[in-house]
Amino acid sequence: MTPIRLYLSNDSSSRAAGAEQLADAWRDRSEIQLIHTSSRGAFFLEPMVERDTPGGREAWFNVRPNDLPRIVAGVGGTKVAEIPFLQQQTRFTFANFGITEPLALDEYQSRGGFKGLAVAQSLSPEAIVDALRLSGLRGRGGAAFPVWKKWQVAQQTESEQKYVVANADEGDAGTYSDRMMMEGDPFRLIEGMMICARAIGATRGYLYCRYEYPAAAWAMQFAIQKAREADLFDCDDYPFDLEVVIGAGSYVCGEETALLESLEGRRGVVLAKPPYPAVSGLYGKPTIVSNVLTFATLPNILAQGGAWHASLGTEGSRGTMALQIGGRVKQPGLVEVPFGLTLRDVLDRFGGGMAPGARLKAVQVGGPLGSLFPESQLDIPICYDAFAGAGAILGHGGIVVYDAETDMVDLARHFMAFTADESCGKCTPCRVGSVRGREILERIQSGQGTSEDLMLLSDLGETMKSASLCALGGRAPYPVLTAIEHFPEEFRLKAKG
Amino acid sequence: MTTGHNSTLADVLERCRPVPPASPNILKTLLAVQSALGHIPMSGILQIAQVLGVTDAQVAGVLSYYSDLRTQPTGRHLIRACMGESCMANHSARVLRAIQDYLCPAAGDASQAERFTVDTMSCAGNCAMSPTVMIDEHLCGRVTPSDVPSLLEAQVLRRKTEGGRPKAED
Repeated sequence: MTPIRLYLSNDSSSRAAGAEQLADAWRDRSEIQLIHTSSRGAFFLEPMVERDTPGGREAWFNVRPNDLPRIVAGVGGTKVAEIPFLQQQTRFTFANFGITEPLALDEYQSRGGFKGLAVAQSLSPEAIVDALRLSGLRGRGGAAFPVWKKWQVAQQTESEQKYVVANADEGDAGTYSDRMMMEGDPFRLIEGMMICARAIGATRGYLYCRYEYPAAAWAMQFAIQKAREADLFDCDDYPFDLEVVIGAGSYVCGEETALLESLEGRRGVVLAKPPYPAVSGLYGKPTIVSNVLTFATLPNILAQGGAWHASLGTEGSRGTMALQIGGRVKQPGLVEVPFGLTLRDVLDRFGGGMAPGARLKAVQVGGPLGSLFPESQLDIPICYDAFAGAGAILGHGGIVVYDAETDMVDLARHFMAFTADESCGKCTPCRVGSVRGREILERIQSGQGTSEDLMLLSDLGETMKSASLCALGGRAPYPVLTAIEHFPEEFRLKAKG
Repeated sequence: MTTGHNSTLADVLERCRPVPPASPNILKTLLAVQSALGHIPMSGILQIAQVLGVTDAQVAGVLSYYSDLRTQPTGRHLIRACMGESCMANHSARVLRAIQDYLCPAAGDASQAERFTVDTMSCAGNCAMSPTVMIDEHLCGRVTPSDVPSLLEAQVLRRKTEGGRPKAED
């Protein structure tokens, strides 16, 4: 009898949910063959097991080892195409997730992989940049800078050596889309980096991966080796090679100049711009530093055209965004949707409401430097301009929901302490301001604070916002000040004097 | 962590010696030392600087900058509780307290300190499985405070049987 093919995600979070125990428990079962895929991102259903049926894949949710007989008998499964969490998404960048084996190059190619690169190879470097301009793609790491502008500068800067660097220092807590991409569809990232290399004339690439992602770094190294063996890097006599470099636990290394310092082996300290890395970056050469998802979005843009990408999303925010829902929601997971849904829509449709027994207090978007939204402000559309208008950031798409038990003063203290820990020390507003901010919040938390402390905090926040060298110091006051703005009574109660 | 650390500093540095025209990479070298020895001894800074052809201040500067570079040996198992925002929102502070309570019954218990090092981390990228605890390189998700004792023992035992460094006292 041919064994039944069962699909199980090998993503780190799926393994943490119990996929690893299932694989261990079922290792010697001859009636099944386990295929290790990427994850669909519906982590609340993990560990999830799928099998083929005439009507498409069926899935079993939150599976335990003794559920195997049920799955083998085909009893109690749900059609994957009918899972609401997945049904309502628009998957382009994450289209392969849950379907392919991440390290199978032939599967990536059979689902359209490397078509974007083939198109890029048929175009002039200038035409590639034009396609990007038409697409309206903005950097997905957080700064949301128009990608084509950066590329054009690097393209037009004369140099015998140029570099492409993927920023995989996904430090924003609450985000995991880069990790999923590297573990789940590594060839897509490689293809995107090669398209960029072709456009600017780079022959060497680096992937700077954070220390906390050993499985992602391993998957990328494996995929790079496979691509090298398949001579993918030698296409049209244009040499390219790619290397994975591991960081060592510094949040600010997600800022591009600090990342390049770290890549050269030095302290990851932020440098003043200009010069921009596109003119003078790694080892003083023109360098494009972009987020993992920015690169992973490129193959589809080249294959389907810039106009296709521009037809998705909103005026200033074209395409789709990978949102990562976490915190106290019922259904945490990765959601790819066109820009434009409101925050409330996303939480209702995908987040599925609050975890049992929890009441919503605040939502933070964009990592530890992101602003807090109270329940009354969730109708904001998810796009760069609306968030910028509200003094907030979309960042890397992390959404964390806090429940009513959250102590806002302690949370604010946590944010400032984080910046104080992670400040690179280069500029005074961030280096000193974050420490003073933390001290003030500790004072309020211990009941020793006064109302003057709250004014001082707001003053300090304004200085950090306007005078810091990079977004770490410049954004650090936002979560703290929005906590005070929306939950003033909690602060006033503790800062009585 | 659970792998044996048998190389000497000199062996590691020999492998990291920069070959011109490549420029010395301090961070890469320190990570190689840590991966071979488990930590980076402060006493080795001068030797590292000499091999790389940089000043000892440059080496010390990089060493003190990155939080994942360790100058002290850790216990045989490194337990890290995630303090990222998604884990915080899921009350990871209670999980951390449970770990500390379980592993540190009496202050200054040297045998426990040799066995476990407890630390926090700022995000493991496991936010959809919050709260997260990382035991060596193994991610655990949806951890409740009451899970902590069985989780720690199960993971430690599991690693032992998987051929991690065989240690009877684990």
